Amino acid sequence: MQGAAAKKRKVKNKIYIGSRTFDIFLIIFMFGFCIVMIYPFLNVIAISLSSRQMISMGEVGWYPKELTTVGYSLLFEEASIWRAYGNTIIIAVGATVVNLVLTSTLAYAMSINDFVLKKQLSVFLLITMFFNGGTVPTYLLIQNLNLMNNWWALILPNAVSAYNVFVYRAFYKGISPEIREASKIDGAGEIKILTKIYLPLSKALYATFGLFAMVGVWNSYYEALLYIKDSSKQPIQMILRKIVFTSGLSDMTGTTEMMNNGELSALNVQYACIVATIGPILLVYPFIQKYFAQGMQLGAVKG
Amino acid sequence: MKKENHKKNQDTVMLSFSERFHRYMKLLWKQRVLIALIIPAVIVVIIFKYFPMYGILIAFKNYKPKLGIAGSPWLDPLLKNFIRFFRNTNSWPTIWNTLKVGVMTMVFTFPAPIIFALLLNELKGNFYKRSVQTISYIPHFISVVVICSMLNGFGSLDGLFNVIRGFFGAEPVDMNNGATYFLLEYVGSAIWQGIGWGSIIYLSALSNVDTSLYDVANIDGANRWQKIKAIAWPTILPTTTVLLIMNVGNVMGADFTKILLMQNDTNRSQLEVISTFVYHQGIEQGNFEYSTAVNLFVSVVCFILVFGTNMVVRRLDPENSLW
Repeated sequence: MQGAAAKKRKVKNKIYIGSRTFDIFLIIFMFGFCIVMIYPFLNVIAISLSSRQMISMGEVGWYPKELTTVGYSLLFEEASIWRAYGNTIIIAVGATVVNLVLTSTLAYAMSINDFVLKKQLSVFLLITMFFNGGTVPTYLLIQNLNLMNNWWALILPNAVSAYNVFVYRAFYKGISPEIREASKIDGAGEIKILTKIYLPLSKALYATFGLFAMVGVWNSYYEALLYIKDSSKQPIQMILRKIVFTSGLSDMTGTTEMMNNGELSALNVQYACIVATIGPILLVYPFIQKYFAQGMQLGAVKG
Repeated sequence: MKKENHKKNQDTVMLSFSERFHRYMKLLWKQRVLIALIIPAVIVVIIFKYFPMYGILIAFKNYKPKLGIAGSPWLDPLLKNFIRFFRNTNSWPTIWNTLKVGVMTMVFTFPAPIIFALLLNELKGNFYKRSVQTISYIPHFISVVVICSMLNGFGSLDGLFNVIRGFFGAEPVDMNNGATYFLLEYVGSAIWQGIGWGSIIYLSALSNVDTSLYDVANIDGANRWQKIKAIAWPTILPTTTVLLIMNVGNVMGADFTKILLMQNDTNRSQLEVISTFVYHQGIEQGNFEYSTAVNLFVSVVCFILVFGTNMVVRRLDPENSLW
């Protein structure tokens, strides 16, 4: 009897010790994981601010050495980067507004149970989730609509996503139908119900999906590559591409000379441009990250 | 009750067509404001989603911009563009490359968020857990141009990758030269970007676990591994299968913008995948019909893959299939 109890205690102890070891290992592992997630960003920032010698000696880790801001001053002397910032902001705001208006109007109608076209619209949208025309037919369409070099070509093709509509609809369905009935009796029309009742109740939804849309546009480059040939209309991602992958760096005044003198590393300007591109997103990230995770769950559970 | 319903149904059937049409019209008129509300969105979808689908027809046509899609003549062997693609000796390496990139990406990027979610779920301490989670999402918000710029910088002679290699005593190499390091960089960065964000959906499934299951397991003296295997894993299995089915379609659709940016003069021929091929042929060289045909071929293969996987899953476990 005593032996069995002792044995049991021993097994329990073993599990306990094993479990503790696992916990400690996990804590260390996750710390390492976080470093892997963040270190590349720190390295980019550090190198953008370090001298050429330190960079080529491989001395720069996560903080700058022999601080220099020459990369940034060269970058921001270029008029094109400021224009690209302006363009991107206009496109992002425009796309977000169009996206929210179109999605919410469509989803509102579809959320009403006795709406005649409800079923047809669901099928109509579902089809777009599984099939698409592909690169070339879309390109030809934009060409035929004369939207080349026009920001509408970046905004309209992705303005209505079926997935978003279904998430909005699920959200609207969560709003009690009695509120709608009551305001109808009070004489409110559909548009009034949508703007005065549904809209204030769906602030979290709009915040989340508005942010998604905005980040999406800020990061998008492929559409701009296809449709915006005029360099004065290009968004920020195209400028980054130009500086890192094509001749953008040598086009800048003074860079070639400075690089030959050893005052400047190509990485200075390239990384400065990376920082300028992701900076706005990383700055607002701490404040908005909780909405993103919420939105993802909203979509996963209800969509 | 049932009888009444039946009678009602019969009544509706008995109505003449014109009468039913009249009723329907009346209903439409009554809901005219709602219909007006959806019109802008519906028009945008028709123009920008449906019209390009119709545009796929040019794969079978000799497209003349002046005649439009409908007016352009059909190709003589209707599948001329497809035949041309499969007869071309350069096509097979492209298909092989596409599969290689797609399969490697899927094999590594699909399980990574699952493992991460399972481990994070075991992590003690809510604050630490939340912090790790928040940090793990950051790379997701970085654009493809930034990722490729970073890879380009890290792979250069002075870059981070070479600093790390130097730490282990290896000579620095220019990783942007040639295609040797392409797959490693491509898949590695895909894991880095997707592991945290991809785990959200699994973590939210895990947060719904009945905690009493863990209490029972503790009484039974289960160790951590047994608990993960018997409780956490079955919880996320349905989510996993659904995502797996949806991901299978991506095997042919490698992240095209990323590859396009990672291509340079030294590696272009080795890194060509179908989607970049479509871009080079269609947009840059203007072979619209040919590249549309190639794209259509890929879409059909993807559709078959998703459909086939779903069928297999339905055979094995009907509850977890997508449809």
